[in-house]
Amino acid sequence: MVPELAVPRPSASQVPPMPPVPTVPTVDHEPLIGGGKTIAQVTRDVCAPIERGPTRLWYGAFAASSSALLLGVLCVAYQIATGIGTWGLNRTVGWAFDITNFVFWVGIGHAGTLISAVLLLLRQKWRTSINRSAEAMTIFAVICAGLFPVIHMGRPWLAFWVFPYPNARGSLWVNFRSPLLWDVFAIGTYFTISLVFWYVGLIPDLATLRDRAAGLRRRVFGLLSLGWNGSARTWARHEVACVLLAALATPLVVSVHSVVSTDFATSVVPGWHATIFPPYFVIGAIFSGFAMVLTLMLIARKVMRFEHYITAKHVGAMCRVLVFTGSIVGLAYLTELFTAWYSGNPYERFTFLNRAFGPMGWAYWVMVGCNVVAPQLLWFRRVRGDLRLVFLLSLVVNVGMWFERFVIIAGSLERDYLPSAWSGYRPTLVEVGTLVGSFGLFLSAFLLFCRWLPMLAIFELKGVLPTTSQPWRHGAQA
Amino acid sequence: MSRRVHVATFDNGHELVAAARACRRRGLQIADAHTPHPVHGLEEALGLPRSRLPIVCFVGGFVGLTLGLAFQHWASAVDWPLNVGGKPFSSWPAFLPVAFEMTVLVAGLATAAALLLRSRLLPGTTPSSFEPRATDDRYVLIVQERDATLAAGELRALLLAHGALACREELSAEEVAT
Amino acid sequence: MDGERREPLELPDELGLEAAPSRRSFLKLAGFGVATAALSACRRAPIEKAIPLLIRPEQIVPGKAYWLATTCGGCPAGCGALAKCRDGRPIKLEGNPVHPVNQGGLCAVGQAQVLSLYDARRLDGPRRGATRSSWEEIDREITAKLDEVRAIGGRVRLLTSTDSSPSTRASIAAFLRRFADGRHVVYDAVSCSALADSHAATHGVRALPRIRLERAKLVVSFDADFLGTWISPVEFTAARRTTRDSEKPQRFARHVQLEPRMTLTGAIADRRVRLAPWEIGPSVAELGRQLAARSGSGPALDLPKAIQLAPLEGPLAEPLARLAEELWKERGRAVVLCGANDLRVQKLVNWCNELIGGYGGVLDLAAPSQQRLGDDRALVELRQELADGKVGALIVAGCNPVYELPDGREFTEAVRRTPLVVACTSQDDETAELAHYVVPLPHFLEAWGDAEPIAGIVTFTQPAIPPLKEARTLRRTLAAWCGDARDDRALVETAYVELVAARRAAAAPSFEKALQGGFALVPAAPRAVEPFHSAALEPLPAVEPPPAGRLALVLESRVALPDGRHAHNPWLHELPDPITKIVWDHYATLAPATAVSLGLAQGDVVRIRADGAAPALELPVVVQPGQHEGVIAVALGYGRKGTDRFTSVGPRWLQSRPTVEPGQLVGVNAAPLLTFVDGALRSDARSVAIEKTGRRVDLACTQDHHTLAVPEHLAPEGGEVRDAVRTLSLAELVADPDHALEHAALEEAELWPDDHRNAGPRWGMAIDLARCTGCSGCVIGCQAENNVPVVGRDEVRRHREMHWLRIDRYWQGDPAGPRALHQPMMCQQCGHAPCESVCPVLATVHSKEGLNQQVYNRCVGTRYCANNCPYKVRRFNWFDYPHEEALENLALNPDVTVRSRGVMEKCSFCVQRILEAKLRAREEGRALADGDVQPACQQSCPAQAIVFGDLGDPNSRVSRLARSGRGYGVLEELNVKPAVRYLAAVFDAAEPRDGS
Repeated sequence: MVPELAVPRPSASQVPPMPPVPTVPTVDHEPLIGGGKTIAQVTRDVCAPIERGPTRLWYGAFAASSSALLLGVLCVAYQIATGIGTWGLNRTVGWAFDITNFVFWVGIGHAGTLISAVLLLLRQKWRTSINRSAEAMTIFAVICAGLFPVIHMGRPWLAFWVFPYPNARGSLWVNFRSPLLWDVFAIGTYFTISLVFWYVGLIPDLATLRDRAAGLRRRVFGLLSLGWNGSARTWARHEVACVLLAALATPLVVSVHSVVSTDFATSVVPGWHATIFPPYFVIGAIFSGFAMVLTLMLIARKVMRFEHYITAKHVGAMCRVLVFTGSIVGLAYLTELFTAWYSGNPYERFTFLNRAFGPMGWAYWVMVGCNVVAPQLLWFRRVRGDLRLVFLLSLVVNVGMWFERFVIIAGSLERDYLPSAWSGYRPTLVEVGTLVGSFGLFLSAFLLFCRWLPMLAIFELKGVLPTTSQPWRHGAQA
Repeated sequence: MSRRVHVATFDNGHELVAAARACRRRGLQIADAHTPHPVHGLEEALGLPRSRLPIVCFVGGFVGLTLGLAFQHWASAVDWPLNVGGKPFSSWPAFLPVAFEMTVLVAGLATAAALLLRSRLLPGTTPSSFEPRATDDRYVLIVQERDATLAAGELRALLLAHGALACREELSAEEVAT
Repeated sequence: MDGERREPLELPDELGLEAAPSRRSFLKLAGFGVATAALSACRRAPIEKAIPLLIRPEQIVPGKAYWLATTCGGCPAGCGALAKCRDGRPIKLEGNPVHPVNQGGLCAVGQAQVLSLYDARRLDGPRRGATRSSWEEIDREITAKLDEVRAIGGRVRLLTSTDSSPSTRASIAAFLRRFADGRHVVYDAVSCSALADSHAATHGVRALPRIRLERAKLVVSFDADFLGTWISPVEFTAARRTTRDSEKPQRFARHVQLEPRMTLTGAIADRRVRLAPWEIGPSVAELGRQLAARSGSGPALDLPKAIQLAPLEGPLAEPLARLAEELWKERGRAVVLCGANDLRVQKLVNWCNELIGGYGGVLDLAAPSQQRLGDDRALVELRQELADGKVGALIVAGCNPVYELPDGREFTEAVRRTPLVVACTSQDDETAELAHYVVPLPHFLEAWGDAEPIAGIVTFTQPAIPPLKEARTLRRTLAAWCGDARDDRALVETAYVELVAARRAAAAPSFEKALQGGFALVPAAPRAVEPFHSAALEPLPAVEPPPAGRLALVLESRVALPDGRHAHNPWLHELPDPITKIVWDHYATLAPATAVSLGLAQGDVVRIRADGAAPALELPVVVQPGQHEGVIAVALGYGRKGTDRFTSVGPRWLQSRPTVEPGQLVGVNAAPLLTFVDGALRSDARSVAIEKTGRRVDLACTQDHHTLAVPEHLAPEGGEVRDAVRTLSLAELVADPDHALEHAALEEAELWPDDHRNAGPRWGMAIDLARCTGCSGCVIGCQAENNVPVVGRDEVRRHREMHWLRIDRYWQGDPAGPRALHQPMMCQQCGHAPCESVCPVLATVHSKEGLNQQVYNRCVGTRYCANNCPYKVRRFNWFDYPHEEALENLALNPDVTVRSRGVMEKCSFCVQRILEAKLRAREEGRALADGDVQPACQQSCPAQAIVFGDLGDPNSRVSRLARSGRGYGVLEELNVKPAVRYLAAVFDAAEPRDGS
């Protein structure tokens, strides 16, 4: 499906009103970047928000997100000081909001890697306007995700025990058979590689900022840009390195959510013990991730005035990804039901009946409604064209995907093998506050990123400008 | 020891590449080119060798994989064998995920490290830049002056002919890598 | 990590502390200061040495346990107990295996007594009114007042609950002898007076026959909860187990229960008939009539014209006829029991027993039981005397009449008018409030004592710890008032010696010997048991069912709190009721149909109004399957003064709710609704009206779903019922004892080569569901042994109870007359433990002996193991559960870690006992023998339903049971290889009932 994206069909309705583009050599389809920008303009436009300083809108958003973050900090502090008992968990439901949030945030992260790595390998030019912030999003999402496995521990101050470090307690290692330990390595690697990839990509743009700035800012960017001077040799290696990192990140992103899914797939809990989980989780992650990218992009292009760089073309492309992955997720739900029925295992069968019609049935239907039904609207061009509608749908999908994880985790635990041990689950204020806080952390980080770093990959944009890219094709053949 | 170089500035990549080609046809040696974005075809225009980063990446991955597997086996079967859920001490299928992550981790870090070291991209290094706008919208060609194979004037003419906006002689700070 | 403690830091010398510190030394000091602060912050509370003595008292070896044979004082049943003492203090009570009464088991209440011992709020020192006084003073003043009473020949009344202690009775006699009109009045809060009276009438002996259930082949019980709360449950359970020996299925006894409410006994009966309280009498009469008809009329049985019984019509006729047939068939090996405290009915019961040869067979009047000595008639007289102000001095000892008896207000007034009132009690209770003098009674574990629960069995109590409170036994108090200065030991010894002499029991052991064993067999004084007086039989007055719109009220005892006596014991409050599985709350039970017709649901608070002056009770409703539609049942023993202390139980946090609202009590006192009906204290003779209050209470119940059948609308076909508990009919078992259960074919498919050879034993357990009565003794036993914290009502509401061993109770059959399937559920110590493979830090791993070990100090608390446990037996420390009560902490078992916040815990098969047994074996230079290791649950089980041992040894008891035809593993199909095997429950029902 991705190649299909490579050559988006032209359409009048998709093009937002923009000034005529006379200087640009005519090409077979209208350019990714609107407004007939020149290289210099690109530099200026992208650096503008950083040099100009934040808008009032930015301040408003940051105030909101940072207060959410503060709430979260307070909740977590209280919980760590008092005990996990301040969460609504019980002897039967040992995980609920905590691991739900964990899986949710990891999933969000995936779209970033996908856009920057997979689309790079597939030579998708349309990614250039969004990959930088998508990668940033990945990093912040993974930070949020990594938080939960730590604070969900009964004794978080001992969290470092999950690392196999040499110690003075005789031979004392960790359990490499435990999916939770796989998580530690998967998330750790994922975070590191994403960060490296992101930074390597940032260096040239940091240099650009450096050369435009003066004083302290110049020194800071000078330090960060590691003395980049755009030498052809470095560019050559840089391109190779990016491709290699992309090539590594692609299987990584698949492995990470597969590993996360094994937390459940390798257990004996009916509703968790399912072989379909790895692919099911990966696609779900991409789905939710793209929804989040879309949400952020639509906000950013307004707040940062990037309408010319994040055009309806990008939105359209992402909508197509959404409707596609959303449908696969729907298929996965059906497959789950079928497997449960076909297995003939009474416990499995009961679990799924209980999911749909039991005490938490409402959550199940929220999940189906948001993830399977709602995205189908995106088949319609008119819907894809209406950014407000698209924004709304992206939010709906985010909600739905959160509920998916909640239904799988709490919904399966609540009633398993022995009826005597069945129970329910009701979240506490602390849990809700922590969830809100994680969004606060994510948005605050993202806003700071918009404020201090180039939100769009300047050098990549320059690479796809009509002036630089299109004629060169012919030149190359000559 | 410092060298004299000719620095030509262009406002687009195509002309830069053309100029570079011309210079090399004339037997001139191109010291370097500074561009705001990767310009396609510049490598072969400058006759740069293929990067060896892929090898570094592969080796890193291999090391990560072997270390990962070996350590897990040693820790759970040799150093501290425990009966965990009735599984064998060395339950290798369970070790694969971690081994895989180690592969990717080491490979990735190795690649990035190699890139930075090889290109001397280190914090604190001052860029050897001839044109501050080289990271903005200027394409800079640095031609090395050899024992007058070409009169200074001719070279200048050649470059201007290929659309250089400006062309000047300078003393390049460091030894140009060849 | 947790256990690690740092030595107190000392100031290193090399920190040059010159007068004017240089910059360097200042920095040194600063750094040192920070370090110190950090370290001392890490340091845990210092260890208090339990025994600081330099000269060790003999017998007390620090860290080594020793056992004292004693007698449980939890109730008058007089079970023999062993007090396990460590460092000079008792930490656990266990049944004495050789004791003739309980033969090894001990009930939940008994085992919880060790906690009551360390109750900081027990009375300390004598008081005049409310003010602390001294023994000399109060003795002087009281004796002075008593002399006045004597001088005017006034009446002295001693009111006590049942106390069969020979020595105490001796001092009582000696004391009362000094007065012209002194009387000792005994009553029981839950009275069996009519049972004794009836035998006075029919056999000329006022006594409770000793019931030898082990001789019974058929037990028919009319509302007698003999396995739960009636007279001597542990004794009866022990007897029952011999009639449920899986080796000899032919010897299984049948048990039929006829009752209005659901009792522990009725819930597991082979057959159960619901009948209303007012139907009990007529049913017994009908049974007698039918039996008499079969027996033909012998001389003993030609009845006075007064009762020519008319045959009973109605739905009960058929089952009763069937019952009569069965009883007749089992003549000589059958017995009829009746819990009703109604003289006429009890006489008819005796008649039935006479007809089926119960006397001399199952019932023994020659050596009767003295576990209930209450005499309601005497009590009624006393109340009259008090009301008329004729009593000069009232001494109340070991009972709490103001709380336990109906119309307390009048009683209170009467008591207030009495010139001298002395209360001997261990708690500052409702009666003590009225007393002029309060004399604290010691806990039985800190005093000398004796008892003769059954004629011929004298059993002793010896102090296991120096008195924690300044208290004095009734025995010694009375002796002191008679000017007898001897101490308890002397009094007890004398009483024993005299007893032996009086009965000319040459074979009886010496006092010392008796103390060692805990009991002595001193043949009972021969009683003149007369042949049955059929003349004593009376016709029953016609009892009308309550008018429409009203329900018959049954006041019942609950297993955990049989009466108010133990209402200050948090373990018992948090023990899930075997029937309702509810903790902490006080409630009224209704039949499902009744609840529907009244539009009530579980938790709705109702106002229960009785006619007359009796106060209305406001209680939440619990819908109880198997209860009679015409009945509402309310437990006695709640609303005790001082239960407001439980406000502080359990963790406090943002959204927590206190176990008891500040200033409130746990439950309400239902005793005011008891009634005196012709001289008997009746608990089932009232009718009440029910009104909704509109309020709701969120009851704390440890079980949400009460059947093995899943909800209909979620039931997949083939999966409607889960088979966690398997049942068999006796017929099936007898037919083929070795293959009674059809097993799902489990082929041994192994993914891995098993490279873990077990060194030494492979510990395992077998639990016989045919024996388990659900009495929950094991739960408290486990709690005491393993330092399981009390978490309070709110935490249980949130499904966070901490018991390592729970008893699952599933109702089977139609809601009108279901049967309970009890299943003790603890860690199954799986061979392929799912919990182990998921723990990231190896905090739970498998031992070489097949134990699934939990390593507390390695646990980081991911709770993954609990999620992955199919049995959900793992317990998580959600908070730091308070251990503030320094005194209460003395009950902690030093061999078991007190778990800190954030770690997982679970049943360990009492690994500390396994190690102890190994050490003992090694000391004695022998191999570990089968039965050396007994986990707390097995030890405490009165039914001996739990057997622990080495599954690796084919000849061990546990392996033999595990192999038996009834053996199965819960969820074996998961191939987790549980080390606990269950033996299918067996019911002697005509039709085999499996599944729902």
